[in-house]
Amino acid sequence: MLFNSLTFVVFYVVVVTSYWSIRSWQARKNLLVVASYIFYGAWNPPFAGLLFGTTAMDFWLGRQTNKARDHTRRRWLVASVCMNLSMLGFFKYGNFLLQNFQWLLARIGIVYQPPRLDILLPVGISFYTFHSLSYTLDIYRGVLQPTKSLRDFVLAVSFFPQLVAGPIVRAGDFLPQLLHPPRLKTGQFLWGLALMIVGLFEKIVLADTLLAGSADRVFGYPGPLVALDSWAGVLAFAGQIFFDFAGYSLCAIGAALTLGFHLKDNFRFPYAAIGFSDFWRRWHISLSTFLRDYLYIPLGGNQVRPFRAALNLVIVMFLGGLWHGAAWTFVVWGLLHGSYLVIERIFRVSFENKPWASTLLVRVVAGFATYVAVCVAWVFFRAPDFANAGRMLSGMLGQHSHGDAILSTRELLQIGSVTAGLIAMHWAMRDNTFETAVMRLPPWTIAAIGSAMICAIILTQGSSNAFIYFQF
Amino acid sequence: MPSSISNFEKRLRLPRLFFRKPSREEEIHGGPPLEFERPIPPAPWRGIAVAVTMVVIAAAVAWELYSRSLGYGPTLIDNEDLWTLRRRLVKPESLVIIGDSRGWFDVDLDEFQKGLGKRPIQLAMAGSSVLPALADLANDKNFHGTIICSVVPHLFFAPPGSPPMERAEKGVKRFHTQTPAQRASQYLAMPLEEHVAFLKPDDLTLEALLNQLPIPNRPGALVPPRFPPYFQTEDRERRARMWEKCAEPGSELAKRIQQIWIPLFPPPPPPTYIAKDVFFAQVKEGIQKRFADVTSAVEKIRSRGGKIVFVRFPNSGRLKELEDRITPREKTWDPLLKMTGAPGIYYSDFPDLSGFNCPEWSHLSADDSVEFSKRLVPHLRDALNM
Repeated sequence: MLFNSLTFVVFYVVVVTSYWSIRSWQARKNLLVVASYIFYGAWNPPFAGLLFGTTAMDFWLGRQTNKARDHTRRRWLVASVCMNLSMLGFFKYGNFLLQNFQWLLARIGIVYQPPRLDILLPVGISFYTFHSLSYTLDIYRGVLQPTKSLRDFVLAVSFFPQLVAGPIVRAGDFLPQLLHPPRLKTGQFLWGLALMIVGLFEKIVLADTLLAGSADRVFGYPGPLVALDSWAGVLAFAGQIFFDFAGYSLCAIGAALTLGFHLKDNFRFPYAAIGFSDFWRRWHISLSTFLRDYLYIPLGGNQVRPFRAALNLVIVMFLGGLWHGAAWTFVVWGLLHGSYLVIERIFRVSFENKPWASTLLVRVVAGFATYVAVCVAWVFFRAPDFANAGRMLSGMLGQHSHGDAILSTRELLQIGSVTAGLIAMHWAMRDNTFETAVMRLPPWTIAAIGSAMICAIILTQGSSNAFIYFQF
Repeated sequence: MPSSISNFEKRLRLPRLFFRKPSREEEIHGGPPLEFERPIPPAPWRGIAVAVTMVVIAAAVAWELYSRSLGYGPTLIDNEDLWTLRRRLVKPESLVIIGDSRGWFDVDLDEFQKGLGKRPIQLAMAGSSVLPALADLANDKNFHGTIICSVVPHLFFAPPGSPPMERAEKGVKRFHTQTPAQRASQYLAMPLEEHVAFLKPDDLTLEALLNQLPIPNRPGALVPPRFPPYFQTEDRERRARMWEKCAEPGSELAKRIQQIWIPLFPPPPPPTYIAKDVFFAQVKEGIQKRFADVTSAVEKIRSRGGKIVFVRFPNSGRLKELEDRITPREKTWDPLLKMTGAPGIYYSDFPDLSGFNCPEWSHLSADDSVEFSKRLVPHLRDALNM
C-alpha cells in the first residue's frame, strides 16, 4: 500500500479513528498489528507469512541469545544473522549471485547456464530484515533485554509507517514505546498530519511531477547527450531521490506521531553537507547509524591503524551499496562513497589545523564539491548499467558536443528552479531543525503554506509513482 | 525574558533515566523507557487546521466550478487499473475488442451486443500497439473466444520500447501483477472520478498545466510531441465517447487535435547515434518480426477454436492522406491478412461504412460511433461466420 494512494487514505482514517477510540492499550496494539499486516499484505498477501516467520524466528533467537553464555551466545547470534541475511540473499541477490557465478565460470572456460529463478522480491525486505536484526544484535551487545511479548515484537518489526521503506527503526528504540499507552495530544496529532502533508508534497509534487520525468528520460536515453542535458538529468535525479525518500520518511514519522509513536529523523538537509562524513550524518541517518553501530565499530572503526580504518570505511560503504540493490552499479556507488570518505579523512588529517581551513570560502567550496561528488555518485546509483553510466559521465564532462538535446526548456527551468530552491533551503536550514523553522513562522504563514501544499497535491490528481526505496 | 527559541528548546525532552532501575512493568521489555520524543513546534494547531481545511475546500470547489465552466464534466480516467478490471472479466468464450483508440471510440457495445449476441469486453487502449494484449490472450490457454482487433498501422507496427508498446505492456503487466491495494484504489477512485470534473489528467493536472506554458524550446531539441488534450468520456465498461465539444462542426478543439495528429503519425527521424542504413534495416526487421509475432499469436488462438477479425476504422482529412502515404495498405494491411490468414474489414471497401467523417480526423463522434457499429455488425458476422 502506498502512502500516496486512495487505499491508504481510507486505511489510515479507519486505523487512526479506531485506534484512538479504543481504551484498552492491549487492544490498540493488537489493532496496530492487524493493520500493519493488512498494510503489508495489500501488496502481496503470501509475503505477510514470510514477514511473520522471520519475526517469530528472531523473537525466539533473541531469547536464546540472552539465555546462553559465552560462545553459545555468539552461536545464537550467528544463527540469527545467517537466517536474516540468507533470506535477504535468496530473495534479493539470488539471481545476481547466479549470474556472477556463471560469469566467473565462463572466465575459466566452463559454460554453465544457471536456471533463471523467478523470484519476486518481497517489498521492503531490506528494511524489515534490519528492523528485526537490530533486536538480536542489541541483545547480544547487552544493550537490550529480550521482550516477553511476541505481539509487541511483531509490532516493532511490522509497524506500518516504517515497515516497507524505513526509517530503519531499531527494536531498542521502539519496544520501550509499547510500555505505556500514549495520550492523544491535539498538537502532536496535527503536527504529525502536517509532516505527512509535507512528505506527500515532496514526493508527489516535487519528486514525481517536477523531476522524475526528466530524470527518467535522460537516464533512459540510449544515445549521447550534450552536457546541459546530462547535468540536468543528474540534478533532477539528485532532487528526485531526496524528495522521494525524505518525503516517505516524513510521512512515516508523521503517521507514527499521529498514533503517539516517536521515530527519529532520517534526513537532516544533506545537500548542505560539508564533506562526506557530514553527508552521511544527514542522509538516510537510520541506515548510516545502523552500519556504523553494527558493522563499522565491530570492524574496529577508527580505533585501528589508519590503513585498516580506511579499509573499514570502504567495506562498510561497499556493503551499504550492495544493500541498495543487486547490481554492480550499486556497489560502485558504495565504493565511490567509501573512497570519498577516505580522501576526506586524508584531507582532514593534513589540513584540519590550518587557519584557512575553517574560513567561509573554504566551507562553501567544500560544500559545493561535496554536492558535485554526491551527484557524480548518483549516476551509478540511477544508471541501469555501466554503459549508460559511462555515457552520462562523458556527457557531463562535455565529451558529446554533437550529442542530442532532449529536455524541453520548461523541464530545464523546472529542474533549475527546484534544485536551486532545494540547495538554498538546505543551506538555510543547515544548522537548524524543521521544527524550529516552523516555530518561527507566524500561524497564518503556516496555514498558507499547508493549504498551498494540499492544493498542489490535489492538482497532481494522484498521477504519482511508487517510492524509489520500495524496490530496496 | 527568554526568547521563543529557548522556550521551545525547553520543550524538547532530553535523554532521561539513563541509569534508573527499570520498573517491573518496564522489565517486560528490559530496555530503557522512552528516551526520545519528537519536538512539537508550539503553534495554534487547531486554528491552523481549521483555516487549512477551509482554504482547501474553497479552492477545490472554485477549481471544480471553473473546470465545469470550461465544459469539463465528470468521467472515468482511463488507466491500466481500469483496463485490468475489464481484462479480469474475459471468459474462455468472450467477445473482446483490442487495439488502439479507434477501436475504443468507434465501437458501441450495445449495438455489438444486439448484433453479435454477446456483450463485448472493451480492451482497446488509446495510443497503444496491439501485440501485448493479443499475445496475452493467445497465451491464455483457456481463451477460445472472438477478438475484434483494430488496426492503425502506425501503432500496430510500433517498435519495442516505443510509447505505444510501453503503454500496452503496462496494462498487460498490471493485469498480471495488480496488488489488492491497487485494485482497491481503483474501486475507490471510480466514484470520485464520476462526480468530480477537474480530475482530467490530460488537461488539468499540475504537469499538464505546466506543459501548456508557451515556452520555446532550443533549436534541434528532440522534445517529445504533444499529445491530444481531453476529448472523450468513458464509463465503467470502458466505452469511450467523443466529447460533444470536440464533435461540434467547426470545433476549435477538433482543429487543435487535428494539428496534434499531424506530427504524431509520421515515423520519428533516425536517431543520431545509429547509422541510417543500420536504423532502416532494424525498422524493416522489426516490421517483419511484428508480422511473425502477430501471426503466431493468431495461430495459437485459432488452434484452440478462437476467432479473430482485423478492422480498419474510419479516418478523415489530412490524417487519412498522411496515413495512406506513410503506411500504405499494400505494405501493411494486405500482408497482415495474407500472413495471418485472418479475415479483415477495411472500412473504405464498403460503401455503407465509408461515408463517415471524423471531426478531429481520427475518431468518430459518439452518435456516429453508434451508427457505424450498427452497420459494421453484418460485416463482422460475415467475416466471423456467425
